[in-house]
Amino acid sequence: MHSNYIVFGRRWTAQWTFLLGMSLIIVFSLIPAVGIVVISFTDIRSLPFLPTHWVGLENYRTFFSSAQLAYNTTALENTFIFAISVTLFQNVIALFIAVLLNQNLKGRTFARAMVFLPTILGVTVIGLIFSLVFNPSGGPAERLWNMLGASSAFFGDPGLAMTLVIAVQVWAGIGVTVVIYLAGLQAIPQELYEVAALDGASKWQQLRHVTIPLLAPSVTANTLLSVIGSLQSYQLIYVLTGPNNPATQVLSLAIFTAAFGGGAGGSVASQGYAAAISMVQFVIVLVVSLVTLFYLRRRETSL
Amino acid sequence: MSTLSVPPIGPTISGPMISGPLVDAPRRGGRLTAMRVLSYVLMVLVVLIYLYPIAYLVNTALKSNNEFVTNPNGLVHHPLLSNFVEAWRRGGFATSVLNSVLYTAVAAGLGTITSLLVAFPVARGYLKHSRLWGMLFAAMMFLPNTLVTVFQLALHLHLYDTRLGYMLILASGVGVGPLLIVGYLSSIPREIDEAAAIDGAGYLRYVLTFLPSLLRPVLSTTFILQAIGVWNDIILATILFTDSSKFPVSLGLFTFKGAYVSQWSLLSAATLIVAAPLLVVYVFLQRYLVASVVGGAVKG
Repeated sequence: MHSNYIVFGRRWTAQWTFLLGMSLIIVFSLIPAVGIVVISFTDIRSLPFLPTHWVGLENYRTFFSSAQLAYNTTALENTFIFAISVTLFQNVIALFIAVLLNQNLKGRTFARAMVFLPTILGVTVIGLIFSLVFNPSGGPAERLWNMLGASSAFFGDPGLAMTLVIAVQVWAGIGVTVVIYLAGLQAIPQELYEVAALDGASKWQQLRHVTIPLLAPSVTANTLLSVIGSLQSYQLIYVLTGPNNPATQVLSLAIFTAAFGGGAGGSVASQGYAAAISMVQFVIVLVVSLVTLFYLRRRETSL
Repeated sequence: MSTLSVPPIGPTISGPMISGPLVDAPRRGGRLTAMRVLSYVLMVLVVLIYLYPIAYLVNTALKSNNEFVTNPNGLVHHPLLSNFVEAWRRGGFATSVLNSVLYTAVAAGLGTITSLLVAFPVARGYLKHSRLWGMLFAAMMFLPNTLVTVFQLALHLHLYDTRLGYMLILASGVGVGPLLIVGYLSSIPREIDEAAAIDGAGYLRYVLTFLPSLLRPVLSTTFILQAIGVWNDIILATILFTDSSKFPVSLGLFTFKGAYVSQWSLLSAATLIVAAPLLVVYVFLQRYLVASVVGGAVKG
């Protein structure tokens, strides 16, 4: 096929409408993205009338300086703990739910709808629901804890907050993962299971040797989506524990806090420094996604 | 492929078995084996994990503050609707829900049209360096966090604290949209373009009126993926808006929570007011939404 064969006579209509569309993307997405690199070398502030200077690598030096190191190490650690846990739990649990709801059970349509429901509820509704359930002065979670002879401040407990945030994120995000696994499962021909059963494979062996290998493309898609999403996620953490809680501080929230205050400090926020954190996060997301993609693609072929 | 011998899947897949992506496993009789009982138990457990928090929310919203304090976990004894009246009166949720509907419709709608306008010429080779543009579309999924520059841009373009600025910024976040549409267009034969051109349709008329019906699945995927993102935004709204009458419902509800800390009955009623229209929409659109999300994610 001739790749440059033009159907509609003049190219220029195609070109100006393309430019029209691209200009929206360029002005409000690409320029800000490139701008992050540029202003990470400046001391630009949130107030427009203050002068801006070039500061070279100062912001990056600040990020790794001893004064900030403890805080930023915590944010980095939290980001990785959050991303790895969410990716892992979300995918493993979603796979089991998908296998479960792919069976011929009465009420499974309702069950699928329930699992997908949080996707449309939105972060604030989800945040309020779980603030209520984990309300430390008399909620159902507190009663459960009391029955076990314990008590906790839940989201206010530095030792537990991260675990709870991860759990709520998995609860809220698993619907999409389940639905993608379900689509993958339904593309697997039923005959394969019949052959496997004739060969004497147990249910577990069928899952291990038929379902999982043939589901590899869905696993890749889901893992990548979870990794990219959870490394950059902050909306739900913000709603559940606020912007400046050390126990759940992740890089995205560190960017928000550095640029727009939102708590401690009090000085006029340095947005150059926040941009430098954005760049650190960007490199991490890029490297981790590419490594994950490379690893999963190789696994797909070897399974 | 390790221990089990698996027959080649090519011919099986093209067979009549798979008539669509959402075919369910054939019925295997209704005998209640131990496996099936276990499956039912697990399914009920999954449903409860999702239903319980929402049921608890409804139960709390129907209680008076006194009843909640004295008996937070029991079933409501004296159900009342006054919390809803109170939350509606004080929260201004009519405004913020409408704002969110407006932002979501405009931003995701504009984003989808933009995706179509940039994807079609790239897919059909109307431009020089089409491949390069395609690579740019892929790179757009990996942009850094642009909160800071977007804020500065809004300040300098006088779009700070305006609905227009907020919607334009969200609309520009097209994500996988253009990539999905380019991919889908490869399955639409060029002969259709030709037939329309011969019938005298111009480029714009073809792209904006004929194509959308051919591309309906991928356009709805693009729209819904972006709409979910817009609907869930709270951070961008926090940094761009100061005027609370422009808040989307995510931020409106969050602000309400800040103002009525620990008044759980009132907060629950407010949450339900926001969630109720979504639940109604969801009942009708559930299948559609689910299919769209799958389409977007798998092809992306």
